[in-house]
Amino acid sequence: MSRFNLALRLLWRDSRSGELTILLAALIIAVTSSTAIALFSDRLQRTMNEQTAEFLAADLVVASPRPVPTEWLAKAMELQLASARTVEFSSVLIEHDEMLLASVKAVSSGYPLRGHLKTVTTDFAQETVSYQGPDAGTVWLEKRILAALKLKLGDTLTVGEKALTISRILTYEPDKQGDFFSFSPRVLIHEADLQATRIVQPGSHVHYFFQFKGDAVALDTFKSWLKPRLNPSQRVLDIHEDRPELGSALTRAERYMGLSSIMVVLIAGVAIAMAARRYSERHFNATALLRCLGCKQQEILWLYGSQFLVLGLAASALGCALGWLAQAGLFYVLRDLLPPHVAAAHISAVWFGFVIGLAVLLGFALPPLLRLKHVSPLRVLRRELAPLPSSAWLVYGLAIAIIGVLVWNYTDDLKLTGTILGVGLLALLVLGVLVYALLQVLRRALPSLRLSWRLGVQGLVRDSRASVSQMLAFSLTLVAMVLSFAVRTELVDNWQQQLPDNAPNHFVLNIVPDQQVAFKQELQQQHIAGSAFFPVVRGRLVEINQTPVQKIVSKDSQGERATQRELSLTWTQQLPDENKLVAGAWWQTAQKGLVSVEQKLAENLNIKVGDRLRFTVGSEQLEATVANIRALRWDTMKPNFYMIFSPGTLDAYPSTLLTSFYLSKDQKILLNSLAKRYPSITILEVDAILLQIKTLLAQLTLAINYLLYFALMAGFTVLFAAVYASLDSRIYEGAVLRTLGAKRSLLNVSHIIEFGVLGLISGVLAVAMSEAITYALYTRVMNMAFHPSFYLWAIVPVIGAVFVGAVGCWGVRDVLNKSPLRVLRDG
Amino acid sequence: MITKNINLGIMQTQVKHPENHVIATKNLGKSVETSEGKLHILSSIDLIIKSGESIAIIGESGSGKSTLISLLAGLDTPSSGTIAINGKAITAMDEDGRAAMRNELIGFVFQSFQLLPGLTAVENVMLPLELRGDKDAKAKAVALLGRVGLAQRLTHTPKQLSGGEQQRVALARAFVAQPAILFADEPTGNLDSKTGAKITDLLFELNLEHHTTLILVTHDASLAARCQRTLQLDAGRLL
Repeated sequence: MSRFNLALRLLWRDSRSGELTILLAALIIAVTSSTAIALFSDRLQRTMNEQTAEFLAADLVVASPRPVPTEWLAKAMELQLASARTVEFSSVLIEHDEMLLASVKAVSSGYPLRGHLKTVTTDFAQETVSYQGPDAGTVWLEKRILAALKLKLGDTLTVGEKALTISRILTYEPDKQGDFFSFSPRVLIHEADLQATRIVQPGSHVHYFFQFKGDAVALDTFKSWLKPRLNPSQRVLDIHEDRPELGSALTRAERYMGLSSIMVVLIAGVAIAMAARRYSERHFNATALLRCLGCKQQEILWLYGSQFLVLGLAASALGCALGWLAQAGLFYVLRDLLPPHVAAAHISAVWFGFVIGLAVLLGFALPPLLRLKHVSPLRVLRRELAPLPSSAWLVYGLAIAIIGVLVWNYTDDLKLTGTILGVGLLALLVLGVLVYALLQVLRRALPSLRLSWRLGVQGLVRDSRASVSQMLAFSLTLVAMVLSFAVRTELVDNWQQQLPDNAPNHFVLNIVPDQQVAFKQELQQQHIAGSAFFPVVRGRLVEINQTPVQKIVSKDSQGERATQRELSLTWTQQLPDENKLVAGAWWQTAQKGLVSVEQKLAENLNIKVGDRLRFTVGSEQLEATVANIRALRWDTMKPNFYMIFSPGTLDAYPSTLLTSFYLSKDQKILLNSLAKRYPSITILEVDAILLQIKTLLAQLTLAINYLLYFALMAGFTVLFAAVYASLDSRIYEGAVLRTLGAKRSLLNVSHIIEFGVLGLISGVLAVAMSEAITYALYTRVMNMAFHPSFYLWAIVPVIGAVFVGAVGCWGVRDVLNKSPLRVLRDG
Repeated sequence: MITKNINLGIMQTQVKHPENHVIATKNLGKSVETSEGKLHILSSIDLIIKSGESIAIIGESGSGKSTLISLLAGLDTPSSGTIAINGKAITAMDEDGRAAMRNELIGFVFQSFQLLPGLTAVENVMLPLELRGDKDAKAKAVALLGRVGLAQRLTHTPKQLSGGEQQRVALARAFVAQPAILFADEPTGNLDSKTGAKITDLLFELNLEHHTTLILVTHDASLAARCQRTLQLDAGRLL
């Protein structure tokens, strides 16, 4: 106990005398930033998940053609899940001699469990947000219905046999999905009125959606419980399964945020390693004395180890508290940009920050600490005796192990972890050797340089290994920033490209072939640019090489869903844009009986080129041979098809046409005239979905921007730790030079040169490294095209020189300000 | 004769020694490799130091004085020969064994005081006792600081003390653990002559009170004269 007291006393005195300030600051910043980032990402992800859940209006939905057993709802209740129910069906509305096919949705009182509805009462009124649907006896409608049926607010609309009062105009509905029921305008009624409409009869084509909300564990339990009980006509929907395009956007964003956090930890780790090295070197004398007084090596280790443990615990606790404040402040600042209900912070994120603090301290501070164990007691008589440096394997091995575990923890992906670590290490090694060679060249050039340059460059080449580590450390800081910037810009651009401003936001289906010419003209007259018209035949895949598909597919897979429903089958002579052949060849001449299959579906159903597929179209059957497999991107919001046939194959079957176009908000009213003139068509409005996705992207960008500031903050600690690590010898040398008559300006210029060159080289290294990492990530992991960024090569080195130069000079200001006499006397 | 029973943790080589020999060296040598070949710092030192003796080691700079006491105190290992302390060959011990031996038997006073700057006077004096796990460390340290005239300076840090006061703290620290042998390396080297004389008086008084074997390295002829025996080193050999 008395030894622990001694450790505490030494720690207390050291911290009071400022010995530990840099180390403590670096550690606190590391913990603060990782806690803040963990909390921020955690809360943002939860918020985004909740927002994404808005697309379902719940966390989990069971879709079924008939009511589900009451036992299911009892189970949900037992798991404390909130539940709601919607029933959707199509119905023809007739008012004032006008007819309109509408999609009716009857909602229970709990609806929507996630998200909200928006309504207005007049054209110019502000939208009202409501967290529940219409009351019994009233109905909410899309504005198009009012125009089409010559109705106004307060009028009565008869749905089936029930007359309901129109109380609001519906402008936003969270779970409006791009399926059949969204094609026609929405009528929202209360579940209590459903029976009175007498529309839903046994055998009616009705969709039931049972919606659930609750904590993740309960939802998982419920989902696993449900799965074996589902019959083939029932499906479980959640964000990752039901909206793959959103799922992948979230996964990508989560990965990116995780990687940014690791950069911050790594940079802070470098700062801690530097500060710990300085701490260790400044304790050689005290350690030698303790050894001289009879302290054994293990006792020395215990003495300093316990101090660092206490330090780590205290700094981690403080860092966690500061991290919590930082993210709370961040959410406060962003309150106008974020959704009104931000998910609460989870304690596990704080715990994560705490553990990171201790892990980083262990990984980066242990090797310098271990050096103290080897301090010779003879140092009390001969000060020049310093212990051997720690083994490079230990120093780098520990740091790499810690970072590796962190990367793996964030990415949960061994391949990505391997890529990041492998490329990063290789780049560091190659660049380290290059910088060392460059320093040797500079060393040779020394005699020919002017005094100020000679002093500056001498500062760099005197301890080449230390300079190499410093440059690599600064480079890492810059790499983090460059990567954040480059990947962020690229990532967002990539998404934006997928969703340009005039991306088609309306799909029109069921255009009868005779109407194609007239419909096209109508669009042209209204100056609406439409995409190509695709013929569509509705059919179902039933057999692959004479084996029924039900025997091939696994439950809940994409393949299962594709075989559960009718697919839109099309034909074309040319491979559509944004489709890429991955196997087989595209048909060149008019060859009947060939089909092209989308890659993921082909993988799920194990379809290969040359396989025979059998489809049913209406009551007839059709066979086709797989000519090729196509890759395509589902998140482009353009018409995409699982199955494309060669021309002529589907000629015998009745077909309709499908097209898409962009319509601005002002042009929305045109939909009414289109719907009137072409009563058979179905219009699918996807602009609301696009808007939701864009809002999500804007928030992701914002979050990533903030992560960048943490990287910057960590970068500052490296800079100061590096400067302070060499401060003692700099002050001593400065004092000697000044005693010999050197002017302050000479020292000042030499510092500017030294740190400027350091920053410049670091900047060049940073661009080289980030280009290598970006190349690896883009080509190997994200499958995106890589383009070198020439402007980075011009800007980053200059930023490095100015940034490192300014902060470095500020850091060594003591060299100019301390009295030379005092410095030399103190030795 | 000092009969401290110490456990040095390893098998000891028993060296035959007369009852009152506290240090005995045989054919002791230290050499280092340099670019110009082997450099002999000490050669063939045969030395016997009796319990309670006070010895001054003198010689010119570079004659090997500091190397000799670093070997005798177990701070360094010889290139040849043996050293026995209380009959136990320290040359056969590992570093931790020698550390334990230092903690039990040896005290030091240095030219540059070697106080830990972060600790107060009393905390510095407590150190050797605390390393030994002594529960009365504070009381003993306070008492000894009183004895060296620093009762009013207990909570001062080295920076707040004059050179003479710092060396008195160092003396208190050296004697507080009741060492059998005290090594002093130029104890007055950093002090003015008046303060140096006071420190010398105090050193010899304490030495007498604690019956310690004193081995000191000095350039100061008057200090050497106060020792019972003087050993002169020249180019690494005893004259």
